[in-house]
Amino acid sequence: MARVNNWQLGREMSYWYPESRPQKQFAAVFDTNKCIACQTCTLACKTTWTSGKGQEYMLWNNVESKPYGSYPLAWDLNLLSLLDGQNWGEENGQSVYKGSTIFESAPAGERVLGWRPEDEDYAYPNVGEDDCAGGIEHGASIDIPHQMAWFYYLARICNHCTYPGCLASCPRGSIYKRPEDGIVLVDQNRCRGYQECVRGCPYKKVFFNPMTSTSEKCIACYPKIEQGLSPQCFANCIGKIRVAGFINTPDKAEADNPIDYLVHIKKVALPLFPQFGLEPNVYYIPPIHVPTAFTRQMFGPGTDKAVEIYRNAPNDPDLTSLLGLFGSTEAIMRKWKRVGDKAIGMDENGKELVNVPFKEPVHIRPAYDKLYQITRTNCP
Amino acid sequence: MRFVTSLTILALLCATSCNKVQVPTPEVNVAQVKEISLDPNAAVWDAVSLHASKMILQDLVEPRLLEPSTSEVMVKAITNGSEIAFRLEWLDESQSDMPGPRHFIDGCAVQLPSKVDPNVPAPQMGEVGKTVEISYWRADWQAIVEGRADNINAIYPNASIDHYPAEAKPLENNPQAQAETAARYAPARALGNRRSGPRDQPVEDLIAEGPSTLSPAPNAVSKGKGVKTLKGWAVVISRPMPAGFSAATPSQIAFAVWEGSHIEVGARKMRTGWVPMILK
Repeated sequence: MARVNNWQLGREMSYWYPESRPQKQFAAVFDTNKCIACQTCTLACKTTWTSGKGQEYMLWNNVESKPYGSYPLAWDLNLLSLLDGQNWGEENGQSVYKGSTIFESAPAGERVLGWRPEDEDYAYPNVGEDDCAGGIEHGASIDIPHQMAWFYYLARICNHCTYPGCLASCPRGSIYKRPEDGIVLVDQNRCRGYQECVRGCPYKKVFFNPMTSTSEKCIACYPKIEQGLSPQCFANCIGKIRVAGFINTPDKAEADNPIDYLVHIKKVALPLFPQFGLEPNVYYIPPIHVPTAFTRQMFGPGTDKAVEIYRNAPNDPDLTSLLGLFGSTEAIMRKWKRVGDKAIGMDENGKELVNVPFKEPVHIRPAYDKLYQITRTNCP
Repeated sequence: MRFVTSLTILALLCATSCNKVQVPTPEVNVAQVKEISLDPNAAVWDAVSLHASKMILQDLVEPRLLEPSTSEVMVKAITNGSEIAFRLEWLDESQSDMPGPRHFIDGCAVQLPSKVDPNVPAPQMGEVGKTVEISYWRADWQAIVEGRADNINAIYPNASIDHYPAEAKPLENNPQAQAETAARYAPARALGNRRSGPRDQPVEDLIAEGPSTLSPAPNAVSKGKGVKTLKGWAVVISRPMPAGFSAATPSQIAFAVWEGSHIEVGARKMRTGWVPMILK
């Protein structure tokens, strides 16, 4: 194995291949606080890519309700129980992962630490995951803000990892990472359906197609990316929770790059299970109403600080303005800036793509309308 | 233990395809016959000498198989001068021929050097500049050839499907549009991945120059047929006679077996080293 730098771990780690970063790395930020689990993203993806025979149970994009929901079943819990010692420490003021990644804890004879889901694990997406887990005592009530009752929605696509577990697992080299944008693809001509990638991806975002006997996965809608457009699950997001772009490594972070700003500068968006060691490139703004004892395990040691920063967004016009640009255009915003009360999204040449006021004007309508001499209920 | 296994297989062979116990030969002797049969139960196989090939774990390259399964494969070989056929039989009580997540398929393969030469390639799928030719039989392809439908209900009988775009009402009288729409949602088939489409043979032709280099052979030339026996599989694989192979110039052959229920797939397999192959 080679030694590579994983900035999300704050250290080097072992990987099957030497470090080879793409010219650009596709990345995204999902704001979990805005997701309403309408599943429009799921259907946008499903109808675009996976409506064929053998793809029936396949959801390249899914939304699950945490803590109980997971698709395929227990994708996260199974791997967490396999991984030993997921401890984080601190060196020179920076968080450093002290445990082992899936590459460093690969059992003898295996390329990575992994497990294989079965048919049943894919059979019930979302079923029962938001049901009450117990009875309600007579006279019980919920205090607001409530501490003990919480859930949130986690939208998931392939993370197009810098160090993909699927790519490392494939003994045939059928999976590759595009040098131009870092999108991870399964070569459908070369794949022989060994399902090693299904076993090796800790996020379980590679799926076996029993009709073609090959494995398939999210392609980040690369035909759209090549045209400067966001993937279908981004463009169709009702809650406007997503922004697509390209991320730099922390040492090359650019403040006018929306992804860099949220991930590296504000540190409000965090990787999903960074301790797995894949350097995933979909970043999440953690839910602010969930006990961080839970979300810290999921998003790493920066969770508490990220929640604090997000809660302070009303006092932070730059952050507020950038959050307002989420879902404001189908085009990929390579740059952004705030001008007064407006957020402006731009292409890589600085040409304006979209212009969004992040403070909407407030109109107060009198209850009695003098013009029509009528009293109205002043509902929003 | 291996001796007991050999006796078991020999007894089974005796019960299924011959009238007397055969003593295995240390090499694969290829008998010359008038006609080749792809039927493992055909009489042509009865009088052919038997080779019992000991199998070893593929534990050289990751992912490795660390726990042994199939201990040996019983081999017979015949030729009609232009075609050569191999009959492989091994123990595997479970029948694994349904693809799916964590479902793996029973299979077997024969491997020959591309050139008949005393300086053989590495037995582990050849090496750079020394290609091997592989004929690979799979139980699911056998089921498809024998009529199992190419749809999800053949695998999951109770599956309920709302709609496939290729079966939309406006396309129902336009087979070409249906095929084009179906191909959009089956990229492996659209690209011509021979592994992914409907099949007319249960055997696939492959070439390799070492581990991880397995590729489709330029032409599909192998044929075959497998039948489930009481305790395992009996499979016949037929392919063109290797150029240069004759009574005066023997060659080498190697075998591999995958037991699907034992999570054997790809590199996770039981294999043999090279075995001498002699034309009788």
